[in-house]
Amino acid sequence: MQESTFSVIPLLAVLLPWASLLAILAFPKRAERLRLWLCFLGSLATFGVVLSLLPGVLDGNTYTIKLASVVESLEMRLTVDTLGYYFALVVAFLWMLATVYSMSYIDHKHNRFFAFMAMCESFMLGCAFSANMFTYFIFYEMMTFGSYPLIIHEETTMARRAGYKYLVYAIAAGTVLFFAIVAHYFWGDGQLGFGSYGVLSLEFASRAALMTVFFTYLAGFGVKAAIMPLHGWVPDAHPAAPSPASALLSGVILKAGAFGIIRVCFNVFGADLLRELEVYVVMASLACITIVVASVFALTQDNLKRRLAYSSIGQVSYIILGLAMLAHDGALGGVMHLAHHALMKGCLFLCAGVILVKTGKKNISEMAGIGYQLPITMICFSVAALAMMGTPPSVGFVTKWLLGSGSLQAGLPVYIVVLLASALLNAAYFLPIIYIAFFRWEGDEVDEHGERHHPKLVFGKEADHKLVVPVVVLAALVVIVGIWSNVPGFPYSLVSKVVNVIFP
Amino acid sequence: MGAWRHFPIFMITLPLLGAVLLPFLGYARERWVPYAALLPLGTSTLLGLLLMGRIPADGFLSYHLGGWEPPFGIEIRLDYVGLFLMLVVCGITFLALVYSRRYIGKEVSGGQRTAYYVLYLLLSGAMLGFVATGDIFNLFVFMEILALSSYALVAITGNRNPVRAAFKYILMGAPSSIMVLLAVGFLYSATGTLNMADLARRIAESGYTEVLIVSYILLVVGFGVKAALFPLHMWLPDAHSIAPSPISALLSGLLVEVCAFALVRITFSVFTLRSSDLVMGTADAVGVAAVAAVLYGGIMAILQKDLKMMIAYSTVSHVGYIFLGITAFTAEGLTGAMYHMLDHGLAKACLFLCAGNFIYLKGYRRIEDLKGAWSQMPWTCFAFALASLSVIGIPPTAGFISKWYLILGNVKGGKWLYAVVLLAGSILAAVYCLRVIYYMFFQAGKEGAWEESWRDAPPAMLAPVWTLSLATLFFGIFSSLLIPSLLKAAAYLL
Repeated sequence: MQESTFSVIPLLAVLLPWASLLAILAFPKRAERLRLWLCFLGSLATFGVVLSLLPGVLDGNTYTIKLASVVESLEMRLTVDTLGYYFALVVAFLWMLATVYSMSYIDHKHNRFFAFMAMCESFMLGCAFSANMFTYFIFYEMMTFGSYPLIIHEETTMARRAGYKYLVYAIAAGTVLFFAIVAHYFWGDGQLGFGSYGVLSLEFASRAALMTVFFTYLAGFGVKAAIMPLHGWVPDAHPAAPSPASALLSGVILKAGAFGIIRVCFNVFGADLLRELEVYVVMASLACITIVVASVFALTQDNLKRRLAYSSIGQVSYIILGLAMLAHDGALGGVMHLAHHALMKGCLFLCAGVILVKTGKKNISEMAGIGYQLPITMICFSVAALAMMGTPPSVGFVTKWLLGSGSLQAGLPVYIVVLLASALLNAAYFLPIIYIAFFRWEGDEVDEHGERHHPKLVFGKEADHKLVVPVVVLAALVVIVGIWSNVPGFPYSLVSKVVNVIFP
Repeated sequence: MGAWRHFPIFMITLPLLGAVLLPFLGYARERWVPYAALLPLGTSTLLGLLLMGRIPADGFLSYHLGGWEPPFGIEIRLDYVGLFLMLVVCGITFLALVYSRRYIGKEVSGGQRTAYYVLYLLLSGAMLGFVATGDIFNLFVFMEILALSSYALVAITGNRNPVRAAFKYILMGAPSSIMVLLAVGFLYSATGTLNMADLARRIAESGYTEVLIVSYILLVVGFGVKAALFPLHMWLPDAHSIAPSPISALLSGLLVEVCAFALVRITFSVFTLRSSDLVMGTADAVGVAAVAAVLYGGIMAILQKDLKMMIAYSTVSHVGYIFLGITAFTAEGLTGAMYHMLDHGLAKACLFLCAGNFIYLKGYRRIEDLKGAWSQMPWTCFAFALASLSVIGIPPTAGFISKWYLILGNVKGGKWLYAVVLLAGSILAAVYCLRVIYYMFFQAGKEGAWEESWRDAPPAMLAPVWTLSLATLFFGIFSSLLIPSLLKAAAYLL
């Protein structure tokens, strides 16, 4: 990896969310609104700080700061490289929108929710900026436990059960991951850092040893990334959590697992070693199975958020599939999908939240005519849902295109079949929602004059601005990023730099 | 010869001297006793800190009492690891003593209070001497002082249950003392010396005779009882859970570790023929026992309804961790074991003191009673949560660092199975710790269990608790202060 310059900015980005926590502690209960705005300012400032690194990162600079070290080979270090920066940008952006949204959405125990939101953001940024697996694991574990209060925030029996399940999965996964890192440290000659082409090699360790490391990593991160059959907590946690938390869960927290796998593939093993070990076959098969099976499960769900959760399980595996192709376009599409999916699924979950707040409806079958009641929300929902199916011009289309092209590069057109099947299934479970929302309503029978009475479209009155604005912003970005992906700061501009190095 | 060479002996004798003088003060001014008791321990801590950095990681300080040369005089032999442990002992005993004033003021009736502090200082001084001594007979003597004072401290309230628990403790403890004494006698008869360094030399010369084998096994079993290594742990859960909380903190956080350390000394500094069948065979047996301890302790902790009982079983499990680190016979494993002595000491002491807070304020002992405790005792609950994270080994607490080295040590020693057991142990720890945290923070309390108003424990009790829990965090983040030297010292020991 090239020389990196010392900078405190990554540390600042990780510490800034804690300012929100101070705001919560410093102001009395009566100043509720003030505190919420300060929390928002905290997340805004964090986003600003992350954004300020953009020009440097685009120039190919890396920034680094050492936090602490145990021994020389075991240190906590934050480094901003292009890949990590890309993830941090997604995290900080989505987090900011979710914070705005939560200001209106969360109606009890604000303190706890916002405190843990801020903490989790800090830990997620720590994950993104981690310079080695040791640091990554530390932030990853803290984030895991910090997100528990977000999931059980509603404190219903369902939420508690979901939280319990989440913890069981998370602790088991954390243990496997810990084992993976120790094994990595042992067989990787004490090298836990991220190298541009991977750091492990068959020179130091046997094939079986490296396979063990890889599969324990895959299992450890796979729980967060919801690779089947390790996905069990996802469909329970999403409906139980408050909507902004579900948006974050799907949008970025699941991605922390996927990002870990990206790091393992690119920076720990490297493409050549993966090809040599032939582990990509397993990865690809698991991803394909997950994509198809999760979509089929999604079809059968009536609870909207549960359906979205199953959809997320399938979509995150696009990333894994893209990596497993070991081809330029595949990797590009997979890694870009990390941001794409965050935008789309973030938007969808926030829409589900608006529906829940305004009408109290959770199940799709109850949502007849809801598009007339909440037109803006449902239009945004439709945009994001169409993007999920891969309709151009949208981010979903970009992903599909790149993954398709990647599978041809890899010489395995069978992946295209999987992608098409997934697109079809996506259509099968998203279109009915749009249909029910706009083309069905209560009392839509033909009356005696042979006419059907449309309910009135009501614009501008649907919900608090704090709920609607994030939804609209995300829906707009779903289209904009899909068209102009090369704008500095948008996914292509960053990811292509990384992928071009690995797959020249 | 600088004055600092005399520090170790002062560190040991000051608390013992304090124990002798304290009854007179208790007779004249009983109210001053809790404060006066702090003085010797505080001084010892200070001396220990001053000594830090004077002792190289790959060397030792040999102090001859009264200038008599060993093997005839009494030797104090302090290496880096020993000093490290002495400091842990000093720090934790000091904090638990600060805590004691309020707690004991309520739990123990007037006449016994001075006795409590006297015994407390005796116990502390004995632990310090136990770690530092370079003479196997003194090892026995200090162990006896330590054991006797801890029997008495467990039973100090004089109620029925504590006395019963103390009696159980004596039933296990007395035979173990006799075993150690026998072993010391055997060693003396076989080699004609009691000094450890001298013993090591003569044993290396003579090779293994039957007497030596028997005495080694006696020592392992004898100290094994005191260190509560499974299956010799039966006394521990009762004694640790029924003793007054500061004493539980000492017993769980320090006593078992100090005794485990004695085994390290015996194995590495006296029976130096490490590759021999004797040591390796014993190590295998100890390893199996430690595996059982990790799993059994963890599962039993999950099954407990009483908070202190749960913490006590958790100690059984963590003693297994320490022994697994020792039996790995790698520098990393030993470092992990030593660091675990530190962070387990801090975290366990903190947990017991937190449990003490609940008993002190509300008389709640059962885990179920803690539902919703957060609403009234937030400081105690947060400290408890932080220490629990260290017990589980979640980063960035110190527990994570020690777990890392314990597992790495076992992996380097080729003991993959033990590494997996350690991971399983931390899952068990997660189960029993998170249950309590869940009750505290995310469950509503029973009607009338907690008043609306905030009334956490008094600052004099919260300060030690928070110092301990923040220390687990501190030593997790700044582990680089100690780990490199410990690695070097461990390599030197091996």
